[in-house]
Amino acid sequence: MDAPVRLPADLLAMIARGVSCIVGSRDEALRPSIMRAVGSQVTADGAGITVYLSRSQSRQLLQDIASTAHLAVVFSEPASHRTVQLKSRTASIRAATEADRPALDRYLASMEHEIGRVGYPVHMARAMLAYRLDDLVALTFTPELAFDQTPGPRAGRALESRS
Amino acid sequence: MSTPLAGIRACLEGAIPAVLATCGADGVPNVAYISQVFHVDERHVALSFQFFNKTRQNILSNPRATALLLDPRTAAFWRLHIRYLRTESEGPVFESMKAQLAGIASHSGMEGVFRLLGSDIYEVEKLEQVPGDPLPAPPQPAGRLAALRSLSEKLARCNALDEALNAVMAVLSDAMDMRHAMVLMLDQPAQRLYTVASTGYAVSGVGSEIRVGQGVIGVAARERTPVRISHMTNAALYSQAMRSSFERESPDIAPVTEIPYPGLAEPHSQLAVPILSTGRLLGVVFVESPQDLRFSYEDEDALVIVAGHLGAAIDLLQTGAESAEGEAAAPSRNDPAPPPGAGLQLRHYPANDSVFLDGEYLIKGVAGAILWKLARDHVQQGRTEFSNRELRLDPSLGLPDISDNLEARLLLLQRRLQEHGPHLRIEKTGRGRFRLVVGRPLRLEQP
Repeated sequence: MDAPVRLPADLLAMIARGVSCIVGSRDEALRPSIMRAVGSQVTADGAGITVYLSRSQSRQLLQDIASTAHLAVVFSEPASHRTVQLKSRTASIRAATEADRPALDRYLASMEHEIGRVGYPVHMARAMLAYRLDDLVALTFTPELAFDQTPGPRAGRALESRS
Repeated sequence: MSTPLAGIRACLEGAIPAVLATCGADGVPNVAYISQVFHVDERHVALSFQFFNKTRQNILSNPRATALLLDPRTAAFWRLHIRYLRTESEGPVFESMKAQLAGIASHSGMEGVFRLLGSDIYEVEKLEQVPGDPLPAPPQPAGRLAALRSLSEKLARCNALDEALNAVMAVLSDAMDMRHAMVLMLDQPAQRLYTVASTGYAVSGVGSEIRVGQGVIGVAARERTPVRISHMTNAALYSQAMRSSFERESPDIAPVTEIPYPGLAEPHSQLAVPILSTGRLLGVVFVESPQDLRFSYEDEDALVIVAGHLGAAIDLLQTGAESAEGEAAAPSRNDPAPPPGAGLQLRHYPANDSVFLDGEYLIKGVAGAILWKLARDHVQQGRTEFSNRELRLDPSLGLPDISDNLEARLLLLQRRLQEHGPHLRIEKTGRGRFRLVVGRPLRLEQP
């Protein structure tokens, strides 16, 4: 396993605020799987990131993460296209509980604001991020690699500062 | 596939970017935003290739990819399981995507960053509906099919090109609520499109010209593919605004003031569809709107049907007119009584066949040459009755070839004369026949 990557403060703040979050993996035959997370939270140092996925929407993805441990997670701010991709092979999966509600609520409130900035109404964010708590899993990982993925000439650049 | 790909075209508008998962040969997955997922046909989509990035590397070594799409109306998710086939960097799919991407870039403030390097063509292996709690789909615009039926009936009753064009303009504007519309016909040798009909503009713009390849209309013509922009760009590439171009190569050409292009000053949505018949490009139907996201895939479907019917009608009317021409012997009547009143000056510049009426630019090209011939015959022989057939046979007119639409040229001339004033008109007198109506004595001049 690679050493955890230290995220730049501005990107960490963006992730902490709650922006679009997409999770990907792949199966043994290298077929990619993908789903949007319905929530996220991050520890203050950025070493522990949790994303929430609905089982019913992410069967293949969760199966792939369980069997290959490969994980790619993109965080993106819709209005600015500022995007970071994190990669990891350390994910742990658990069922979400009532204790996760405050994080999920904060995330939804942030996303209502974020996609409102690009012209979509509140009910769009709610429909897009709708979940049932008993269908939800929390996926916690430590980012090992981080890439600036904001569209433009610097896209794809690895964020170097390792701890 | 249980759900046809066409059923999720709303997800493919680029309103909300899609996300693509790929996987390198090293087994590391990658997730990236994709500006465009373009509907090619029932089995294929094209993704915009804009950057040499990880996605690019991955699909070249492992063609399997999975795209996550979101319906911007309902927030329903779909997954497309796709396999990379090839990259196209020219042709209809590429040009349609390039035009659409310019709109997306403009809308999202990414002009100069979003540039289409290629259209990555993927085969769709599976379309998967992701369970969720989507919003109800908004109702489809009502009466589309009824509007198309009404157009079909109207076109079936038409006897002449102007009736067909009027029918199309009326149905677009009223029944389909496409308030700003025009039809342009192709001038094949000149590789230009000239406006023959329009609706919803301050000036008709009949006679205004667009180069094949220029703007949304010109690209639709060149590539023979619909071009639809949902967020109009201010990118000069697709701007339809005409430069006034003086043709100064020849010293005897008067400064021709271009007929102004009638289009909206600040369009937000545009849709151009080629008019094709028996494999030939005849022209373009074009609609635009001051609103963003005004034209959907369904509107494009409807306009393609409109253009198809119009193309068939134009071809049939032309064939009908030509067979009628055979019967109509050209009557060369002498009119002993020239009209009273002050003379109407008609000045002709042979280099480009431009004609000026009382110093005001009227028309050029084939239509200009036709008017000059009619006026000459009128002044020299007192003729007022003419036939399409004699025009077609007259070598001095330099009609491009048999496939050129003489009816369209005559209609253009007729409409330009109508807009100019009451003193010189063309009236149809039957199939393949018409009359030059002269209200003031003509005074012909050539520099």
